[in-house]
Amino acid sequence: MPHPTDQWVSFAKLGDAELVSLTGEIDVANAPEIGRAIVGRLTTAGKVLIDLTTVSFLDSAGVRLLDSLVGDLNDHGTPIRLVVGERGAARMTLQLCAFRPDVLASDLERAAAELNT
Amino acid sequence: MSDSGGPDVTHELRLPWDDDPDDLYENAPCGYLTTLPDGTIVKVNRTFLTWTGYTRAELIGHRRFRDLLSPGGKIYHETHYAPLLRMQDDVDEIAFDVVCADGRQLPTLVNSRLGRGPAGEPRAIRTTVFNATERRTYEKELLRARQAAEASERRVRVLQEIVADLAAAPTEAEVAEAVLGAPEPAFGAASSSIYLVDAERDQIIAVASTDPTAGDWDDMPRSSPRAVARVAERGDLHVIGSLADATEHFPDLVETMRKSGRDTVVLLPLTTGPTDERSGTETLGVLVFSFTGERKLSDSELRVVRLLGQQAGQALDRARLYDEGRRREERATFLAETTRSLDELHRLLPRIRRLVDRIVPEIADWAEVRLNVGPTGLLEASGGPAPDAEVLAQSTTKVIATGEPVFGAEGEPADTAVLPLTARGRVLGTLAVRMMPDRRGIEAERLFLRDLADRAGLALENARLYEQERQIARTLQRSLLAGDLPIGDSRFAVETHYQAAAQDLEVGGDWFDAFLITVDKLAVVVGDVVGRGIDAATTMGQLRSAIRALASAEAGPARLLEGLDRFVERVESARMATVAYAEVDLVTGDLTYACAGHLPPLLHEPAGTPEFLLRARSAPLGSRAGDTRRTEERRRLPAGSRLLLYTDGLIERRTRPLDKGFEILAREYARRRDAPVRGLTTALADTLVGRDHADDVCLLCLTLGTEERIERTIGADRMQIALLRADLRGWLVSHGVEPECQDAVLLACSEAVANAIEHGYRDDPFGMINISATVTPDVIEVRVTDRGTWRGAVADVARGRGLQLIRESMDQVLFDRGDGTTVTMRRVRRESPRE
Repeated sequence: MPHPTDQWVSFAKLGDAELVSLTGEIDVANAPEIGRAIVGRLTTAGKVLIDLTTVSFLDSAGVRLLDSLVGDLNDHGTPIRLVVGERGAARMTLQLCAFRPDVLASDLERAAAELNT
Repeated sequence: MSDSGGPDVTHELRLPWDDDPDDLYENAPCGYLTTLPDGTIVKVNRTFLTWTGYTRAELIGHRRFRDLLSPGGKIYHETHYAPLLRMQDDVDEIAFDVVCADGRQLPTLVNSRLGRGPAGEPRAIRTTVFNATERRTYEKELLRARQAAEASERRVRVLQEIVADLAAAPTEAEVAEAVLGAPEPAFGAASSSIYLVDAERDQIIAVASTDPTAGDWDDMPRSSPRAVARVAERGDLHVIGSLADATEHFPDLVETMRKSGRDTVVLLPLTTGPTDERSGTETLGVLVFSFTGERKLSDSELRVVRLLGQQAGQALDRARLYDEGRRREERATFLAETTRSLDELHRLLPRIRRLVDRIVPEIADWAEVRLNVGPTGLLEASGGPAPDAEVLAQSTTKVIATGEPVFGAEGEPADTAVLPLTARGRVLGTLAVRMMPDRRGIEAERLFLRDLADRAGLALENARLYEQERQIARTLQRSLLAGDLPIGDSRFAVETHYQAAAQDLEVGGDWFDAFLITVDKLAVVVGDVVGRGIDAATTMGQLRSAIRALASAEAGPARLLEGLDRFVERVESARMATVAYAEVDLVTGDLTYACAGHLPPLLHEPAGTPEFLLRARSAPLGSRAGDTRRTEERRRLPAGSRLLLYTDGLIERRTRPLDKGFEILAREYARRRDAPVRGLTTALADTLVGRDHADDVCLLCLTLGTEERIERTIGADRMQIALLRADLRGWLVSHGVEPECQDAVLLACSEAVANAIEHGYRDDPFGMINISATVTPDVIEVRVTDRGTWRGAVADVARGRGLQLIRESMDQVLFDRGDGTTVTMRRVRRESPRE
């Protein structure tokens, strides 16, 4: 049975990292649900990549979601990268919120390679 | 008589020789005894001594008469003979058995006279004794004959009753019951059992017994060496008279007979005709009855027994035919009803479900339908227990490969049948059933199951085709509706909505379309084809293509409709389709429209109330009775106008007049004047028809022109922020605002609205938020206003981040808190993104 959040979030494996792909508009209306869907999948992950390159809108609720995800994974020593592309709404919002450059990446393959070293 | 010269018989005739009176006494043809009144023998003649073997000396003075009698005789002598004699001085024809000297008993008839003295005192008794041996034998035979006649009569009566029962017994089971009850009353048997021959399965089935514990009572193959099977094979009556007889001929019976204390067993085949006419006579069963003690059956009894066998056999034959006829009729009815019942449902899964439900439990304990449809196939089962999965899988594979049914896997009891579901020469899947124990392996049942599978195969294939057609129709319709609507042109926006009928109906023929005829001329269409299903979907596609082909810069709506009328002459299925068609000049804002039998478009200009466009109306396409003179109407629309085209499913209700529908639509449309365009058609459909609607609904809303100033009102609902963003994004694009600047404005506006919802209206879910925006070549200004009461906004870390984002993404942010809050945000337009 398809989950309502399937239109925004999907999961896959890239190498040994768990890949979370977000797409569309992430805002105060859907961020909590998306957060629950992601947390349910990442509890046992060793490495995590979150691909935001096709996110067309990201608001402060989305930022809060990503912030808490990064925080929790860091606490557990799980490496994580947010892939946001060279430009676009997600990068703009995350930059405005001054996310740490070491968490952000602009290329999925490179980010995956970084996690594996 | 003397006159005739014959002898005078009043005197004794003189014999030609001397008749010595002593000799007459001694050698008379009867015995003479003279006794004293107490019975002591005082005189006896030789005849008596010769008969009894006594000597005179043994009797005279030593024995009384009664001493010579049998014990019963003695009693009779004392109770009847002696008293009678004393009362009436004589007794006649008293039957006594006289005990002879060697102990033998001599049946006699006795007459006695009591002689009295002058004073009347008893003096002597004279007795004659007649030998009654012959007479007694005769009497005994008479008695035996009477007993035999009575027994025969009783037998006949019992048998008559049974024959009547047999005639009335409609089923095998009842015939068996009637026959089973015969031997005890008719022949005095101790118990009886009945076996029926099942030719289909080559078995002899133990059906019933008056004492199932008495014998070795169970089924056996027809080829069994056991007595029952042998007698059934021979078709002739067999009587086992004794244990010795059984030991010699049927050793299998010895143990049983000994255990249950039986000495005689009769095995009677139940045949369709006399056993001496063996040709054409069939043995349908065997009746076994037994006796305690050796019982010899007389010839007449044996004749009756044979007759019983025939009567029962014929009744069984009749019952079998009757049973078979009734079963055949039941099966035929079942098949007909199944076909009809399946026809009631069109879709595949419900049909499969119903098929399985009909089979279990009426036909089988367990049934399963497998269809090789779709990527994973379909499987539906009911009842239980299911057969072994591995065996079933093997049979299924075999059936699918060969297209032939499998009745019971090799080495398995034949209780599970797997039948192919075939249609048009293709094996669609399988029907597996676990048959009722009493129907397993029977040829008639196999034929029936084949017939059932054939019908089911056809019904399921039809449902599959229906399903396929339905899927094709849906896909076709979806692909046509989801087609290339023009987007990204800032001069207009098109919002559409389609929802299929909630009931399980085939696709309808509703459609919408929007396309650019030239760079500056847009066409919008909503139409409705008569009918449902793949034909309607196909016709809809044809009409949609025809309209795109006929539309031209010069033609206009009226000529386009005329072209469609000609098209309908060739495409009959499109006749009576209705169409609302409009063209908009994107430069001047001129609208030209025409309606062929379709509901009037609804126009809402920025100022004023919604208005139904009631001009330029004519009959449906290709109408013969209606007015098909096609006209068109032109009017100029101000920027910001919204035009709604829709199909009748939106407003038609059986429960209310059409006027009422129009009225409600106009009111709801007006209420949403300032709602974002995105989501407008869906919201209208939700409000007007809800989810449980009986018809397809199709809507198209065209918003025209770029507003210099965009104004929107939304409810305090997070979900609506995305709808607002869509409008705002379109507006920003249409004014050529740079992408980075767009993203920044959208982010700031979203955060401001989210703040208004989460703080201003935290206690008021019905609050409204007004958003307005203006753009100049230098600056974009957005204003977000709510009427809520803000509390603790700054203390909220999350919202604090929202405020921070607003400040970061805009150049100037002003909060005006009075009666509610107004946030005014400005951003300067630049060529390059800010760093």
